[in-house]
Amino acid sequence: QVLPCALHVPSATRQLHTTPACLKTRAARVRVGKGDKMVTYEQAHAPHYIGHRKGWLSLHTGNLHGEAGSAQRAVEDAFLRRFLYGTFPGLLADEVVLKRRGNLLVICALLGRALPPYKLYFLLGYAETLLGHFYKCPVRLELQTVPARVPYKYL
Amino acid sequence: NLMGARLAGSHSDTQEPKTNPLVSISDEPETLYKRLSILVKGHDKAVLDSYEYFAVLAAKELGISVEKVDKPPKTIERFSLLKSVHIYKKHRVQYEMRTHYMCLELKYLTGSTAAVYLEYVQRNLPEGVAMEVKKTKIEKIPEHIQKPVWDTLPQVEKTEVKS
Repeated sequence: QVLPCALHVPSATRQLHTTPACLKTRAARVRVGKGDKMVTYEQAHAPHYIGHRKGWLSLHTGNLHGEAGSAQRAVEDAFLRRFLYGTFPGLLADEVVLKRRGNLLVICALLGRALPPYKLYFLLGYAETLLGHFYKCPVRLELQTVPARVPYKYL
Repeated sequence: NLMGARLAGSHSDTQEPKTNPLVSISDEPETLYKRLSILVKGHDKAVLDSYEYFAVLAAKELGISVEKVDKPPKTIERFSLLKSVHIYKKHRVQYEMRTHYMCLELKYLTGSTAAVYLEYVQRNLPEGVAMEVKKTKIEKIPEHIQKPVWDTLPQVEKTEVKS
């Protein structure tokens, strides 16, 4: 890739390289399609927008300068997302937000309205007790139902 | 009757003084803190700004004097990893972790005030934010240093040595 300052020199346009396909980053980006793919705000923005247009999905102190426990939190987060994806099959409207306040783990999830409320309450209690026993810490699950996924764009 | 119950309650109030179970009175002298330094670290600057507003407001309401609110510059921890799982050493990915700081310094607190303020402020610490507290205590000078040594030594009689 050519430096922006070098482009003003007329002879530099002959040295322009284009990025070959293998150099493009594909991390957490939804590729443009025919216009029928619905994409939420979270999915539409690439990871370099975190802190600018996006917030954090997992809030803990492990990644701060001079704090420990970063890897353990990452493993716990991965397990929790898979567990919740399985406990609420097909219901998760958006990514789960995990917050850690001291010992307490707060899980905020947005669900669709496919199941009746009494089943949701059962799954809530089941998830809270099981996760509490796994991680030996108080777990609070805060659920909110949405009629449908909120679209941001169609790609 | 409700009126009778209310009057009976007020009558018992005037006879015995109300003792609040949450307030404890002890005979130990209070520890005095010259300075209480609270350093708050976080990834999100907006969260730290709102927490600073909350902590300063809480200190003002409790009557604690705020010496200064300092905002040290952020530290960025960057590292480069290989982009691909197997080969392609020339193509890497760079990540960074930004830590913003906010230092709140309070002066001249008693031990119980410091305990109350710290407990309130720590219970409302947002998630993803870490706090470090440094306390500077004021202590009385110990007895053995209070007077200079040369004053306490017994007076030695001057003897002239003729060489």
